[in-house]
Amino acid sequence: MRLAYWMYEGTAHHGVGRIANSMRNVHAVFHAPQGDDYVNAIFAMLDRTPNFPAMTTSVVSGTDLARGTIRLPDTLRQVEERVHPDLIVVVASCSTILLQENLEIAAQHAGLQCEVMVYDANPYRMQEIVAAESLFTDLVKRFAKPQPRTERPTVNILGPASLGFHARHDLISLRRMLKTLGLEVNVVAPWGASIADLRRLPAAWLTIAPYRELGLRAAIYLEEQFGVPALLDAPIGVQPTLRWIERLRELLAQAGADVPMPPLTAFSLDGMSAPSAVPWFARTADMDSFSGKPAFVFGDATHVVGVTRFLRDELGMPIAGAGTYVKHQADWVREQLTGYVDEVLVTDEFQVVADRIAALRPELVCGTQMERHTSRRYDLNCMVISPPTHIENHLLAYRPFLGFDGADVIADEVYTTCTLGMEKHLIDLFGDAGLDLPEKTERTPVAEPAPVAATVESLQPQNEPAIAVASAPSPTSTPPAPKPAAVVDPVWAADAEAMLKKVPFFVRGRVRGNVEKYARQRGHAVITAEVLLAAKEELGA
Amino acid sequence: MQSKATPIREDGIYHSFCGLVSVGWLYQKIKDSFFLILGTHTCAHLLQNTLGVMIFARPRFAVSLLEESDLSSSQPDISAQIEEIKREHHPSVIFLLSSCTPEVMKVEFEGLAASVSTPEVPVLFVPASGLDYTFSQSEDSVLQALIPFCPPAPPDDKRVVFLGSVNDAIADDFSLEAARLGIPVAGFLPASHFTELPPIGPGTVIAPLQPYLHKTATQLRNERGCTVLSSLFPFGPDGTRRFWEDLAAQFGMQVDLSEREAAAWERIKHHTDLLRGKKIFFASDTLMELPLARFLKACGAEVVECSTPYINRRFHAAELAALDGVRLVEQANFHRQLRTITETKPDLIISNIITTNPLVGQGTVAKWGTEYCFLPIHGWAGVNNLVTSFTRALQRHARLDPLGSDPIWLTGMMPGSSGGVTALQS
Repeated sequence: MRLAYWMYEGTAHHGVGRIANSMRNVHAVFHAPQGDDYVNAIFAMLDRTPNFPAMTTSVVSGTDLARGTIRLPDTLRQVEERVHPDLIVVVASCSTILLQENLEIAAQHAGLQCEVMVYDANPYRMQEIVAAESLFTDLVKRFAKPQPRTERPTVNILGPASLGFHARHDLISLRRMLKTLGLEVNVVAPWGASIADLRRLPAAWLTIAPYRELGLRAAIYLEEQFGVPALLDAPIGVQPTLRWIERLRELLAQAGADVPMPPLTAFSLDGMSAPSAVPWFARTADMDSFSGKPAFVFGDATHVVGVTRFLRDELGMPIAGAGTYVKHQADWVREQLTGYVDEVLVTDEFQVVADRIAALRPELVCGTQMERHTSRRYDLNCMVISPPTHIENHLLAYRPFLGFDGADVIADEVYTTCTLGMEKHLIDLFGDAGLDLPEKTERTPVAEPAPVAATVESLQPQNEPAIAVASAPSPTSTPPAPKPAAVVDPVWAADAEAMLKKVPFFVRGRVRGNVEKYARQRGHAVITAEVLLAAKEELGA
Repeated sequence: MQSKATPIREDGIYHSFCGLVSVGWLYQKIKDSFFLILGTHTCAHLLQNTLGVMIFARPRFAVSLLEESDLSSSQPDISAQIEEIKREHHPSVIFLLSSCTPEVMKVEFEGLAASVSTPEVPVLFVPASGLDYTFSQSEDSVLQALIPFCPPAPPDDKRVVFLGSVNDAIADDFSLEAARLGIPVAGFLPASHFTELPPIGPGTVIAPLQPYLHKTATQLRNERGCTVLSSLFPFGPDGTRRFWEDLAAQFGMQVDLSEREAAAWERIKHHTDLLRGKKIFFASDTLMELPLARFLKACGAEVVECSTPYINRRFHAAELAALDGVRLVEQANFHRQLRTITETKPDLIISNIITTNPLVGQGTVAKWGTEYCFLPIHGWAGVNNLVTSFTRALQRHARLDPLGSDPIWLTGMMPGSSGGVTALQS
């Protein structure tokens, strides 16, 4: 047992819900306490679904347990009457799985017209990603039927799903590129696919599965079972996208289709420009300062690998570290990032990631919602590149991560997230640029004494709706950090404090943190002006 | 139409939050507390998604995570986590909340809490599992756990204790109003700190501010012999007047607040004009539904259905009487509710956070009922917030360009959706 405040991945039943909600006429039924119905809210809020998410909780109450009542057959009948699905996927929850009931028999008892699949997802052994990937693979295995190829070359796209990170945008980007190549889409799945669409999967000439988390195993199955070649790379960045297009054409050529390469300008939004502005942008003088900005990258496997390589290979940024919470993909991430980082951090405990970020103090953090949080605490620049997300990451405009369009989006995000070059030099040289504001509670919490915790919490407004998915983040929250182990926190002498005040306010927190780190390393209990100067010299701060 | 308010009981509410969610406001209200849930990955995922974990990186609540290897032991050992919490957060009290899995495992929670409780930092068991409790109900369990720590008051200590977690501003309003009417106040349950709980004894009058606390009220009546005020809850001009007049009567005072009530109605006339004759449907899950429906009825709206998770005939007696003639449903079946909504075509649906966007997607005007647990809508000062919370949704939708019934604007918004919403699949 351990104390958990936060999980990177959702539960198994959430993963099942994501597949059902992605597909047409597929419905998930959770044999679960009413409390487990919250996953519906995630879809209705983050995906802003204009229809009821395709999942229903068949409630198991304390009274039901005492009386031995099982409502599953009734619920199944109600679901069939209400939504007429082709398939219902029944799954137990973390508590009901302990009851060891035979749900197959209970489901048969309902006597439904539609297919019912009792999906054995042990929530103690699998979480969201494995549950979703395994269910999707099972569905493909169950429904895909041998058949002749389509007359013209067509392509399957596997992986985009409800609540996927920028999934809708990625799908648009992929479709745009395929269209430019003159290729038609056979089936997209699970996004928008019906059971009939799954049957048609083997008719494609090629399967694209860009995500390591979803669609990979189904693509491999289609290759092994039906000979449909699989393209498993993620086109994140300009060079990977060019290579991806080449590989796609090669695989189709092997399958007997000649796909002529149009001029690269054909891939741009207006059809007559460079398909991405990144190669030129990266060479502009403006970007010089980025070669000195180390980045730390953490998230799911696909995005961590794609973004780490993009930052170093295409923007020329140093990589301070990288890691993933998707443990079963850790080996793949290590292999992909060989030469980029010495060691890949693999953990699903956010405190461990937070400690690493605090130790590295990178210029840019690319992470999940939780790293955004950690970064706010340490006054670091952060952009979100991976689930789990906040409603803020579910924006309306076209913001793909894949393809040429995606390269531009990621580069823009990096540029606007980091502190700029020339402006920063001017301010460093001349002070505050007229921007100085009265210093608030700016002490970096690394040196914060512990009892402050209660006070900071108490500053939080009482009436703020506590529903995260519904509310904007509170700019006032600066929760204190965990204390560093076994090191005495240095205190600031008045002369050093006065000098620190002259540092521009928006980098002051970082300078303070760096100097304190320096003082701790050198064993200075008091930061005097002398120590500050020595630290500045040493750190170039 | 029923002649007396007779609730219909259906086969169960399933779109609702777990009782654990009430931790979200309770940890902020009781500032020296920590809430520890003995639960699973599911509980942590629930809290992360429904509460402010995304906003507050270091909340004073956490999950003691049961993993597969922990399932075999009937009585888990949480002492390491309790020590970690004490070290990191220095709480005055730790609430130990149950959840579905340990309930199924038949963990003996009273004993577990006692085994880690100390006089310095008591660990109090709070039954809150999603098997038995919905959303706001768990506040009732938390307040019950606090009862033994309210010092006893002598029989001649005749003062009021307000029951329910309200923010400091609302608490000040109620203290001031009581002082103005000459009603002596002993305090609030819960207080802002564990160490400031009010004394309660046979002379105490318990005045409930929230409609979901009947267990605590009953236990206080039984154990401490205090009087529980039976009145309307203090929402809206009608409820607030009745609340204060009935409370004053408990202290032997005849108070007439009719002018005050009339002035309050007058101030919100613009809004009540808008609500008059409007059909309102309550399909939310907060247990705030009865008083809110009663207020809207008093505004002249037609409440076509008021569904609520549970009704307690004694605790809600005054509200039930005021709702005479309104169709009341306990444990509503959502499927049936959708049919009734189609038939009755309400102008406004108060739904829960799970169903609101989809209901709007079906062409209705719906708003989050969940908000009422966090809005300052109590007493005279809350009247404007209360009424505008309803009219804002109506006015906003009226101002927006009508989308008509053209599904084009919903196209592709939901990958697998059928029924008028076209999927992206070509």
